[in-house]
Amino acid sequence: MSRSTWRGIIGTLLVLAAWEGAARGFQLPAYTLPAVSDILAAAWRTRAALIPAGWLTMLEALSGYAVGSLLGIGFAVLMAVVTPLRGPLLPVLMAINSVPVAAYSPLVLLWFGIGVASKVVMVALAVGFTVFLSALAGFDRVDRRSVDLMRSFGAGRAAILWRLRLPAALPLIATGMRVSTVRSLIVAIVTEMLGAYGGLGWIIYQAVVQIDFVQVWSAILVASCISLAFFGLVGAIERRVIFWR
Amino acid sequence: MAELADTPLLEMSRVSKTFGPVQALNGLEFSVNAGEFVTVVGPSGCGKSTLFNIVAGLEEPDDGGILRFKGQSCHAAELLGRVSFMPQRDLLLPWRNVVDNAILANEIEGANRKEARAKALAMLPEFGLAGFEKQYPHQLSGGMRQRVALMRTFMFERELMLLDEPFGALDALTRTMMQRWLLDVWQRHRRTILFITHDVDEALFLGDRVLVMSARPGRVKMNCPVPLPRPRHADLVTAPEFIALKRQVLDAIEEEAMKSFTLSTGAH
Ligand SMILES: Nc1ncnc2c1ncn2[C@@H]1O[C@H](COP(=O)(O)OP(=O)(O)O)[C@@H](O)[C@H]1O
Ligand SMILES: [Mg+2]
Repeated sequence: MSRSTWRGIIGTLLVLAAWEGAARGFQLPAYTLPAVSDILAAAWRTRAALIPAGWLTMLEALSGYAVGSLLGIGFAVLMAVVTPLRGPLLPVLMAINSVPVAAYSPLVLLWFGIGVASKVVMVALAVGFTVFLSALAGFDRVDRRSVDLMRSFGAGRAAILWRLRLPAALPLIATGMRVSTVRSLIVAIVTEMLGAYGGLGWIIYQAVVQIDFVQVWSAILVASCISLAFFGLVGAIERRVIFWR
Repeated sequence: MAELADTPLLEMSRVSKTFGPVQALNGLEFSVNAGEFVTVVGPSGCGKSTLFNIVAGLEEPDDGGILRFKGQSCHAAELLGRVSFMPQRDLLLPWRNVVDNAILANEIEGANRKEARAKALAMLPEFGLAGFEKQYPHQLSGGMRQRVALMRTFMFERELMLLDEPFGALDALTRTMMQRWLLDVWQRHRRTILFITHDVDEALFLGDRVLVMSARPGRVKMNCPVPLPRPRHADLVTAPEFIALKRQVLDAIEEEAMKSFTLSTGAH
C-alpha cells in the first residue's frame, strides 16, 4: 500500500479514537454523539436489516449512476456534433440544473412512485448533469491545431470525434464521474428518506421517528463504506484508463 | 509527357490572405518542382505558417489568388488529405504509443491497421526509434517526439511534404544531427519538401532553393538557389560558397527585420 493510503488509515483511526474518547469521557447522550463502539455493536446487531437495505440503496445508486453517465456523455456528444443544438438546448438544461436536484424529488416521487424507479431517476438526474457538464467542457478543450492536423489528413467529423475529441475529453469526463460516485449515494438516500419501501435512507427515517440515534449512525456507517468503496473503485479505473495524465 | 514533367508540383500566384484587419500575405508568388527541397525563411509573424495552412487546405486564400497543384487550378480545401503536413508543434496524441501515433494518418485514410503498424515498425530504426514502439509521448524526449511526428508525416505518403519549423524547439547539437538525418531520409524517399525555418544556416544547408519572405504582409522577397553539391556534410557550413550565400540571404532578412521592427515600434 502507498504512503498516502497508510496516512489516510492512520488519520481515520485517530479521529475514531478521539471520537470514542470524547463520547465516553464526556458521557455524551446518544442523540448528540454515540460512541463508535456502540455504533459498531448496533450495526452488527441489526445486520439482518442493514445488509439488504445497503444492497437496495447500492443498486439504486449504481443503476442511476450508469443511466446518468450514459445520458450525460450522450447529450454532450450530441451537442459537440450537432453544434446548432447548443443555442436552444443548453439554456434549458442549465435552467433545470440551476435548481438543486432535491427540489425535484416530490415530483419524481409522484410520477415514478415510491419504489426503486424514482430513486434511479433522481440519481440519474444528479449524475447526468455533472457528467454532461464536464464532458462538454472536455470536448471544448480540444486543441484546434490537433483538429486541423486531423483535417489535413482528410479526416471527417466522425473520425475527429472518435480519434481526437472523445479521448481528449476523457480526463474531464472521468473527473465528473468520480465526483458523481459520492453524489449518487447521497441522492439515493435522501430520496429514500422522502418516501420508500426500503433502503438505508428509509432505515434512517424510521430510526429518527423511533428516536433510535445509534441506528441512524449505523446506517450512516454502512452508507459511508459503500460510498468510499465506489469512489475508490472508480478512481482506480480512472487511473488505469487515463494513464497519460 | 515532357510537358507534364516540366509542370511544377505546386504553383501560387498573387495569393493573399487577410484576417480581419491583419493582412498576413500579400501577392505571394512561387512554385515548387517535383523532388525539390525548398526552404522558407522570414521574420516571425510574416505569414509562413499561414502559407502552410493554405497549402494544407486548412485556410482558403483571399479571392483573386491562383493555386495550382499538379498543374490543376484548385481551391485550398481540395488539398485536404493530398498533402502531408507537419505543423509547428508535434501534436502527438498522448493516449497513443509511438507506433499508433505514427500511423494516425494512415488509419484516417482507412488503411488496414495491422499492415500500417507492421510498416511503421519496419520504419522505426530509420527514424532512430527502434525499441520505442510501445512508449507513450510523455515518456519521450523533445527530439524523439519530433522524430515521431516526422515519421507520421512520412508515413502519410504524399508527393508534397510541408514541414513547419520541425527542429525549432531542439538544442543546437540535436538540431544539426537531425538536419543531416533528414537529408539522408529525404534522399532515400525522394519526396518534395517545403520546409519553414527561421535559421538561415538550416535553410541553406537543407535546401535546393531558399525563399526569403518579406515582413508582414508576407510575399517572396528573394528566391535564392543553393547550387551546393549533395550529399552535404557538416563542414559545408564553413565553406566559402556557403558563407557567400549566407551573406546574401542575411542581408535580405536584415532589411525585412528592420522594416518590421520600425513598423512595430513606430520609430522613424
Ligand atoms: N487564424 C488567424 N486569425 C487571425 N490572425 C491570424 C490567424 N493566423 C495567423 N494570423 C496572423 O497572421 C500573421 C502571420 O502569422 P503566421 O503565419 O503564424 O506567421 P509566422 O508563421 O511567419 O510566424 C500574424 O500576425 C498572425 O497573428
Ligand atoms: Mg509559424
